[in-house]
Amino acid sequence: MFLIIKRLWQVNWAEQWQYRANLLMYLLYWLVSPIIYLAVWTSIANQKGSVNGFTANDFIAYYMVLLICDQVTSNIVIHTFGYKIQDGTLSGELVRPIHPMLTNGLVNNIAFKALTMMGLTPIWIILYFLYKPDFSGMSLSNMLLAVPAMILAFFIGYLLSASITSLAFWTTRVYSIHEFYFALILLFSGQFVPLTLMPKVVQDIAQYLPFQLLIYYPIQLILGKLSAQQIAQGYVMSLIWLGISGLLFYLVWRNGVKRYSAVGA
Amino acid sequence: MHTLKLLSSFLKVNIQMSLAYRADTVVNILLNLMWLGWELLSLNIIFSNTSTLGGWGLGELIALLGVFRLVNTLMIALIWPNTEKFNQSIRDGSMDYTILQPVNSMFLVTFSRITVWRIWDLVLAVILIVVGINMAGDIITPFSLLAFILLTVTGMIIIYSLWIILIAMTFWFTKFDNNVTILQALLDSGRYPATVYPAWLRIIVTFIIPIAVATTIPLQALRGDLASGQILLFIAISVVGFWTATNIWKMGLKRYSGASS
Repeated sequence: MFLIIKRLWQVNWAEQWQYRANLLMYLLYWLVSPIIYLAVWTSIANQKGSVNGFTANDFIAYYMVLLICDQVTSNIVIHTFGYKIQDGTLSGELVRPIHPMLTNGLVNNIAFKALTMMGLTPIWIILYFLYKPDFSGMSLSNMLLAVPAMILAFFIGYLLSASITSLAFWTTRVYSIHEFYFALILLFSGQFVPLTLMPKVVQDIAQYLPFQLLIYYPIQLILGKLSAQQIAQGYVMSLIWLGISGLLFYLVWRNGVKRYSAVGA
Repeated sequence: MHTLKLLSSFLKVNIQMSLAYRADTVVNILLNLMWLGWELLSLNIIFSNTSTLGGWGLGELIALLGVFRLVNTLMIALIWPNTEKFNQSIRDGSMDYTILQPVNSMFLVTFSRITVWRIWDLVLAVILIVVGINMAGDIITPFSLLAFILLTVTGMIIIYSLWIILIAMTFWFTKFDNNVTILQALLDSGRYPATVYPAWLRIIVTFIIPIAVATTIPLQALRGDLASGQILLFIAISVVGFWTATNIWKMGLKRYSGASS
């Protein structure tokens, strides 16, 4: 198994490396929104002193950490796998004795992530010197606690996206469904603004959804804003959602593959 | 006249193409409404915490959202589909047939594909602009309204010219098929007034990829922030920009030698 993963890694790394120019464009595209939100909220905080307890510095720290958390916990499985189901290239992977989504797809995502991280690091350092965030609330123990939390979040996000991608077995409109899912993330994850500044209803619903585990929870954890009890709660929620999303993916995938009949078959 | 006739037949063809995917059109319109809802909600969140953003009120930001959506429609309805077709035609040599037509090739390349259902987005954009201007109320004079309309048009011309220059680069660098991604990447910056951005970002979106020229600048004219000299300057820039783009296109076309040779 280790050998298989190693080979998959080599193939996927080479594949992603080939598209490094596209990757840089993607990175630029993805960077613009957080930087704009940061500019908007620091401008308001500077004007008023603070927004609901958030100073300009708090916003800067929040979005700077967000850049890392979002990059670690997000995935691109809809773009790398959706078309394979639609045009039938999945067939070649299905005959292999390993699960396409949970081995090849996963390794592909991690290779992509490693490369974008390489691109992001210098940009992040430049932004650090431009904005000089105040990270004084951070501690080593919180950062160490955040690592498994982000890995869990990545798997939750990956399994949910993989479930949605697998809907391509039934419908050609899977990209539209994914767009809707993406809007849900934007609304409930804390990507636009720290969740406590969202309307009360949104906050209440967000508590029960997995999306805040992808962004808001790890950021607050890293910034040292959570009590020991809240940290534990987050972990429990993560494990529950990992179970739910795993089960969901198992069901969607099993029924989908049964329906699958490739083009030309 | 000839051009208008051509444009209307392009529209006809594109309507027929999109009628083949009626259900998709409905889904797309619903998704579009969802994003509008999100945009209004995010403005609501911002303005429940403050009364002005960089000195701009809610009405002005709604009008800005309308102008942003105009540029966004230009991007999605015209720039993306035509660029895709153009890049393809450079790779496989079908550009030959485009050049052989007895019509201005630049016009042909940039208007032959239109994502028709997006046109309703224009209606939405105009509604947002009208509502926003009404909410902003007393800051508007007939002169500032005229300047706003003029600068919205010049902004679109500047973006169009930049697009021509970017795709014309493909004549020199055949593999440059990322040509408009850079435009798309910075497009989102048009949702908010560029005046709140840090200086380095403001310079990028004003001078390098001038998204702000098509979004923030017209709104500044509406607010009366611009002197008439500045307004004339932007009109001049759009004329010079369009002229430059046309010439770069012609130079590029001379370099084109087909895919097989």
